Amino acid sequence: MALIHFLKPKNQLEEGGRTAAPVQRDDGEPEKNCPNCHRDTPLSRLWSELLVCQCGYHFRMKARQRVLMLTDGGSFEELFTDVKSGDPLEFPGYEEKLATVRAASGEEEAVLCGTARIDGQRCCLFVMEPYFMMGSMGSAVGEKITRLFEYAAARRLSVVGFTVSGGARMQEGLLSLMQMAKTSAAVKRHSDAGLLYIAVLTDPTTGGVTASFAMEADIILAEPGATVGFAGARVIEQTTRKSLPKEFQKAEFVLAHGFVDSIAPRSGQRKTLSALLKIHNGGHHHGPDAL
Amino acid sequence: MFSKILIANRGEIAVRIIRACKEMGVATVAVCSAADKNALHVALADQSCCIGGAEAAESYLNEKQIISAALLTGAQAIHPGYGFLSENAHFARLCQKNGLVFIGPAPEDMERLGDKARLKELAEACGLPVIPGTKALQSPEEAKEAAAALGYPVMLKACAGGGGRGIRLIKAPEELAEAYGQAAAEALASFGDGSVYLEKYIFPARHVEWQVMADEHGHAVCLGDRDCSLQRRHQKLVEETPSPAVTEEMRRSLMEKAVAAVKKMGYVGAGTLEFLLDGESRFWFMEMNVRLQVEHCVTEMLTGFDVVKWQIRIAAGIPLGFSQEDVSLAGSAIECRINAVGCGTLSMLHVPGGPFVRFDTCLVRGMAVSPYYDALVGKLIVQAKTREEAVRKLRAALCELVIEGIPTNREEQLRLLEDERFASGRYDLTLMGNG
Repeated sequence: MALIHFLKPKNQLEEGGRTAAPVQRDDGEPEKNCPNCHRDTPLSRLWSELLVCQCGYHFRMKARQRVLMLTDGGSFEELFTDVKSGDPLEFPGYEEKLATVRAASGEEEAVLCGTARIDGQRCCLFVMEPYFMMGSMGSAVGEKITRLFEYAAARRLSVVGFTVSGGARMQEGLLSLMQMAKTSAAVKRHSDAGLLYIAVLTDPTTGGVTASFAMEADIILAEPGATVGFAGARVIEQTTRKSLPKEFQKAEFVLAHGFVDSIAPRSGQRKTLSALLKIHNGGHHHGPDAL
Repeated sequence: MFSKILIANRGEIAVRIIRACKEMGVATVAVCSAADKNALHVALADQSCCIGGAEAAESYLNEKQIISAALLTGAQAIHPGYGFLSENAHFARLCQKNGLVFIGPAPEDMERLGDKARLKELAEACGLPVIPGTKALQSPEEAKEAAAALGYPVMLKACAGGGGRGIRLIKAPEELAEAYGQAAAEALASFGDGSVYLEKYIFPARHVEWQVMADEHGHAVCLGDRDCSLQRRHQKLVEETPSPAVTEEMRRSLMEKAVAAVKKMGYVGAGTLEFLLDGESRFWFMEMNVRLQVEHCVTEMLTGFDVVKWQIRIAAGIPLGFSQEDVSLAGSAIECRINAVGCGTLSMLHVPGGPFVRFDTCLVRGMAVSPYYDALVGKLIVQAKTREEAVRKLRAALCELVIEGIPTNREEQLRLLEDERFASGRYDLTLMGNG
């Protein structure tokens, strides 16, 4: 049955009264300005909406907040907390920088690793931390991710990973570049064991992380509007002396060009991931219990 | 005035609200469940959003989806209709937080007037006669003493009650102890609060309610009464205004009291004060409905005031454009609810016409009635100079109404209209086996 088509009356809008209501907020409640629609939103509301603006813009999210949003209450058990970055090259100012970032972010490193349940589905989970040197990959990040894949392979668990990174951590020089090869090898061994790895690329996923484990997943999802690329757009423009398309390196553009499998808005991520994990686990049971 | 309103409801009431908006020049956004994609309200609205599955919890009760739909379509206000989210203070507050106008009372008022004990105190303070009763009781012994003071029969009710749960009728002292235990246990299981109180049992009684409208500038008017005593299992079937049991003098006095009470409460919006009218022509206040009612149409037909449009104007801060003196209650208007009594697909619809006959419906040919929602598919309303003429008109119109493909209660309603007790106006809540 098709919808009936009605003509539309051309009545003028009645006059008088107010046309809209202001957003009501608690006294003194801080708000955040959306870089996309430029509207201010009270933080409490933004939190209840998983840090997604009403226009659909996805704000960056702290790793622990993401873990809370994603996993079944209390199911996240953190692993490898003792792995921390040193300063092998004695890079000027790196020690101080690490100390400041650790104090500010409350994290020891730029990635959280552990095991968790997502809507009942057991898996290994890593979530990178945007507020720790923009999730840059140093030897500790590489080591934690490598260990997580090895841990998952040994216990026959799927891996779900949220990436956010500016790339390799320059303060660790070649040691950080080496992490690309190391993590890739671990992903390969996990894959060869017939196990599932799902990556969710969040804003921004760039540099050495894109060039290694972020793009090596069996299923690659991306958050709407996330920047996904290797070199920065400005660098590419300056090098090639060509102007780039407007939406270049945005998740939707990357999807259209076949580099990711799907866009996953934050509100549906829990459901999507648990469904994918469930299919991989044979459709019914909750994954290996031997954790 | 808002230039776009989202209607967070379905069925005939969504159609009704969209019509009011069209007359006012306001653009409309309909929301629908997966089961309602082809519904009349969707076709009538300027825009529509499917907000979830057929189950009401996934769609019409899905607060976040509705707010998102309003924000995405740029609606400035949400009309909740009746049922679903219309009395949900949490939803009204969510609207405020998102910069949307909830067309209805403020969330604080909803909470204040939804709490039975507080409302009773408030009504008493506002000069309304409340049913004599006790506060929360501590023991069966205390209940026994209080019941003796009130005089049997009495009703034992849950303080947190609703929906008929935790309620016991007690006719004699020896029934009290057992009923007390049962009611308290039921109340605890249903509402998580086992406290109960006693109330004088008003019997036999009529259900008479008063429509009020108040704006934020301190004006309030009463648009008369509605007699809703024809109920089966607490579901209203036929409503009329004015009530044949209320004399002019009683009406004037009650209307004054209702307006004074609403002003004193500081209430803003459309509301209904519900009373029981006992055999000795005494009114007893029961509760206040802080939303549009299904039977608002009889008031509209009699007074000529569009309740839905005024609800929207009040929400936009426009002062009531009329006073109590402008409200004329001459004549008679009666509404007969048409309910589906089973599922089916509408193959033929003939709507009765003629002067002063109105049929509010969501029915269109090819439409399927699904089991997910309320059974109400239409409301037949007539108006005439006298009650007798209105009854004749309603009978004739009801005979002309043809709904094929969906089983309805039409014939049952016709029998009711032909009942001598209805025709004479001398009926009460016991006519359909309530009480």
